[in-house]
Amino acid sequence: MALEGDIVAASKVLTLGLATGLGAIGPGIGVGYIFGKTIESVARQPELRGDLLSITFLGLALTEAITFYALLMGFVAFFIG
Amino acid sequence: MRRIRMWLFIAFGLGLAIPAFGSAEPTFDPAGEFATTAWVPIQLGPIDLSINKAVFYMLLSSLIICVFCLVVVRGGMKMRPTKAQNILEMTYEFAEQQIAGVTLPERVIKKWFPYLATLFLFVAVNNLISFVPLPTAPHSDTFRVVGDLGLYAATANINVTFALALMTFVAFLWEGFGTHGFIGYFKTLVPAGVSKGLMPFIFALELMSQFLRLISLSVRLFANMLAGHLLIIMAAGFSILVGSFIGALGIPFALFFYVFEWVLVAGLQAFIFALLSGIYIGYAAQSEH
Repeated sequence: MALEGDIVAASKVLTLGLATGLGAIGPGIGVGYIFGKTIESVARQPELRGDLLSITFLGLALTEAITFYALLMGFVAFFIG
Repeated sequence: MRRIRMWLFIAFGLGLAIPAFGSAEPTFDPAGEFATTAWVPIQLGPIDLSINKAVFYMLLSSLIICVFCLVVVRGGMKMRPTKAQNILEMTYEFAEQQIAGVTLPERVIKKWFPYLATLFLFVAVNNLISFVPLPTAPHSDTFRVVGDLGLYAATANINVTFALALMTFVAFLWEGFGTHGFIGYFKTLVPAGVSKGLMPFIFALELMSQFLRLISLSVRLFANMLAGHLLIIMAAGFSILVGSFIGALGIPFALFFYVFEWVLVAGLQAFIFALLSGIYIGYAAQSEH
C-alpha cells in the first residue's frame, strides 16, 4: 500500500507535533524534581527560603530552555524545512 | 476617577478592536509576523544597517530606559522616594545584589556591574514591550491611516540575541585571558590531576562547552520569546480560524499564554540571561586557589 497525498506537508506537521510532545517529557520531569526538592528543603530549613528560591528560578529557566530547543527545531521543520 | 478609568478602558478596547474591521488578511501566516523588512534601507558596503522592525523596537526600549532614568534622577531624587524613584531604586538594588553581587568576585564587581545591569534592563524592557500592541505589523494599513497593530519582540530575532550573547562571550574571554593569561586560560579548562590519556578528550569537551555557552545563551532567550509569541498567535488564530463555539475555547488558552508570558517569562528570561552572563564572567575572573 503506497502512501498518497502530500507527504512533505504531512511530515512537517508530524515533526512539529512530535518535537513539541517529546521535547516536553524530560523538562517536565526536571522542573517537577527541582520544585519538589525546593519544597523539601524549605520544609527542613524555612529561613533559607529566599536564597533557595533564587536558585530554584535559575534552575527552572535552565531546564525550561530544553523544551524550547526541541520546540524550536519543530518550528524550523514546520516553517522552513 | 472611576469614570475616567472606565472610559479609558473602553477607549483602549475600541482602539484594539477597530483595526480588525479596517484590515483583513486572507491567509493566516504566523511566521510573517516575525519577518523583518527594511523600513529605512541603510547600506554601508557589505554591512546592512537598515532600520527594520527589530531595530525600531530596540531603539524604543533604549529610549524608554534612558528617558525614565534621566527623568527620575535629574528631576531630583528625594529622601521620601516617589513611585518612579522607588521602582528605579528597586531595579538598581536587584541588579546590584541579586545579579552582580551573587556571581562576580569582589574585585571585578565595579568593572562588570554596569554591563550586567544594562544587559538585564535592555533584555527585560525589550521582552516586556513585546506584549504591547504597536502599529508595526506587516499587513495592510488600517483604513490607510496607521499600520496594523501587532506584537513583536526584538529578542525573538536570533540576530539580536546572538549579538548580546556574543558580547558576553567576548566579555568572559576577555576576563579569562586577563586573569590567567592566554595559555593559562586553556590550562584552567582541564582540572589538575587528570591522567595523560584522558586529557585531550576532556580538553576538547571543555573547549566545546565554552562555545556552547554562546549558543545556549542566545538560543535560550530567542526560543523562549519566539515560542511564547507563536503560542499566543496560534491560540488566538485557532479561535478565529475555527470560529463559532469550538473557537471560543481557544480564547482562555490565548489569554493564559499571554498573561503567563508577560508576567513570568519576560522578566525571568532577562534575569537568567544577565545572571548566566555574570556567572560566566565571574567564573573566568576567579583566580586559582
